Amino acid sequence: MVDGWTGKRLRIDLSRGTTSVEEIGESYRKKWLGGRGFNSELLYREVGPDVDPLGPENLLIFGVGPLTGTFAPSSGRTTVTARSPLGGGFGDSNMGGHWGPELKFAGYDQLVISGKASKPVYLWIDDDHIEIRDASQIWGKLVLEADAMIKEELGSQEIHTALIGPAGENTVRYACIMSDVYRAAARSGMGAVMGSKNLKAIAVRGTNPVNIARPEEFYQISASIRERLRQDLMAQMLYDQGTWLLTMPANYELGWFCWHNFQKGNHPDAKKLSGEAHRDNFLSHREGCFACPISCGRFSKIKEGKYAGEITGGPEYETLTAVGPRIGLLDMDKVVHNNKLVNELGLDSCSCGGAIAWAMECWEKGLLTKEDTGGLVLEWGDQELITRLIEMIAHREGFGDLLAEGSSRAAEIMDRGRDYSISVKGHDMSQDDPRGLGFAFGIGFVTGRRGGDHLQGLPCLELTGAFYPGLVEKILGSKEAEAPLSPVKKPEMERYQEDLKAVGDSLTQCTFTHSWSFAVQPEDMALLLSAATGLEFSAKELFEIGSRIVHLERAYWNRLLVGRLEDKSPKRFTQEPMPDGPNKGTVFPEAELIPRYYEVRGWDKKTGFPLPEVLKGLGLEDVAAELEPYRAEYQKKIEETEAEATNPA
Amino acid sequence: MVILVIATSIKTLLVDPSRCTGCRTCEMACSLYHEGKCSPVLSRMRIIKYEALGKSYPAICSQCSKPQCLSACDKGAIKQNEKTGAMNIDEALCTGCRSCLTVCPQIGFHPQKKVAFKCDLCGGDPQCARFCTTGAITFSGVDEFLMTRRRAIADRAVLAV
Repeated sequence: MVDGWTGKRLRIDLSRGTTSVEEIGESYRKKWLGGRGFNSELLYREVGPDVDPLGPENLLIFGVGPLTGTFAPSSGRTTVTARSPLGGGFGDSNMGGHWGPELKFAGYDQLVISGKASKPVYLWIDDDHIEIRDASQIWGKLVLEADAMIKEELGSQEIHTALIGPAGENTVRYACIMSDVYRAAARSGMGAVMGSKNLKAIAVRGTNPVNIARPEEFYQISASIRERLRQDLMAQMLYDQGTWLLTMPANYELGWFCWHNFQKGNHPDAKKLSGEAHRDNFLSHREGCFACPISCGRFSKIKEGKYAGEITGGPEYETLTAVGPRIGLLDMDKVVHNNKLVNELGLDSCSCGGAIAWAMECWEKGLLTKEDTGGLVLEWGDQELITRLIEMIAHREGFGDLLAEGSSRAAEIMDRGRDYSISVKGHDMSQDDPRGLGFAFGIGFVTGRRGGDHLQGLPCLELTGAFYPGLVEKILGSKEAEAPLSPVKKPEMERYQEDLKAVGDSLTQCTFTHSWSFAVQPEDMALLLSAATGLEFSAKELFEIGSRIVHLERAYWNRLLVGRLEDKSPKRFTQEPMPDGPNKGTVFPEAELIPRYYEVRGWDKKTGFPLPEVLKGLGLEDVAAELEPYRAEYQKKIEETEAEATNPA
Repeated sequence: MVILVIATSIKTLLVDPSRCTGCRTCEMACSLYHEGKCSPVLSRMRIIKYEALGKSYPAICSQCSKPQCLSACDKGAIKQNEKTGAMNIDEALCTGCRSCLTVCPQIGFHPQKKVAFKCDLCGGDPQCARFCTTGAITFSGVDEFLMTRRRAIADRAVLAV
């Protein structure tokens, strides 16, 4: 009997229609922890540089960890991993809800899907009963309807589904996977990978327990952490207003409210999208992911106007800003409606907003005309146009087909407007501007494992850290690091938070418990893990595991010949000083901070590859050896690029 | 005939579904506290989810005043605990005939022990209510519970300007 984990990996080959179950041994579990760690390891080992992200050889991997499906607070998260069709490199996405715990109760730590079905199918995992079922009736359906049809067909409401909408079926490069109807594994195109395999949905039901090595101890630790979360101001605020609470400080105090594709960091009317305005006028009720006492999830109802009567899960801050101010909207009913639309169609709101914002800015600058858009006029904030574009993207119709490629590829295809694709490594930025949010965030945007995104480290030490007296100073030895726009200790801060987040994503435990709220400390995570599994872990060992995971993900990119040259912020953040607001004049000091981050990480400043001794120190000797030829090749690439830059032909 | 503790004089578990976020912390607390494992199936109470509506409903034994489970059990395995008022199942006497759960769905059937099991109010400190942060599940006297809800309605009428 295994405690904490199930110790089982379920593999399903859709090409052959076969399934198998493998043991995940103890030494492997100790080395990679679970969830994101298991997934990243498998992706590195089995999905090499030659694999087409949308081809049958790509794997679609779902992983949960030793704490998933337990009493540990906020332990219901799932990581989905594949080579990304958006950025072309490492891809993963993390979702809440109740699907992951159900996979665990069915008896599996990891689900690995390979191959491609010859026709649309869905999976039915009912404990050890595994079935590949015909999905021809469900194909083409919106998320809400598909979920209802599957539950009807299987004759039970006590089922949890992860599924794609039309966007995934049409391999929109940033299609997401929706679970429990309203929870998204949104980023880096995991839904497109699922669609490329002709896989509409994965329905799961499980009846097995998660065994706990020391149940009484585990109970007491969980109980005391829960009590701390109950008293925690940040957790209370997340319950009260959800992530909407960010609108007011982001706009009026810090100046990173994403307006018109990051052209500005504030808008006088941003309060129309405040957390209070949502809570008082649009909040129907609050929702919690599995075992979560914070319950930041929202459920909205539109009471008036064109969309009166609509109900929907969400939105949260990134979505409300992506399909809102990033494309010129400040009306809450429109934002809530657009959130419903992208969720139902199965689109990542951030990249969808990013693609539309790119097109709108190109239009504004005269780089796109009616000839390019099929007659569409791309004015900021035109709600009718926006809803039409979202539909066109999901179905790859007309101009939507171009935007379905993502802003970065669209700019390449059109050979214009590259600077208005606010993305890193082809992956659109979430609505977070390092010129106000903070410089540790900025480092994560540039170097992150899936490209531009706030969830590389979610370094909230520089966002909410100051609410915890002495915390930042204790961790980093500097109180000054609390200030978002101070460069002091920011590489160290980002490293700390990245490694910790990799641990949380692997256990699995929601980042908001240990970064945003800091009620859960690394030592608590080690205690929980030790009591659950019966193996002893210290906080120090957890950080080492987190660092190992981050480095393997970095090596995944390096093996694709991506390194220092591609660690590039969008020019907007480094060359356009913030035009006004409290942080007027700020740029992200990339040239100063990225080399310092490499140094802190032990990465070669020239290539951005981790140094071999660093990899070896993390138990990645084989990876260090494998990277050597790629390092040499990449050095050549740098020399050629630099020669070209100094002697343009 | 067993003389039942009068329900209004003791605390019991009361549910306000409008406050339930559907997080199922209660299921985990219950199963881990009683069974040493984490499993919804081993929980003595369950959350019924309506995911499309984002709503949830805690299904909990209400420790009825005229318990049908008690009437249905002809083995004498169900007895009221005098201290808590909870209907408790004596595992040693339960034969696993399932008569009780045919008359009331708030009773569970233990998949390994093959006996019926149900909410015992954790001996007077129910863990589901202890860890419910929103007040969807509370452990209180019926009158206190009702007055709290009545006052919430009254607040809206009286305090609203």
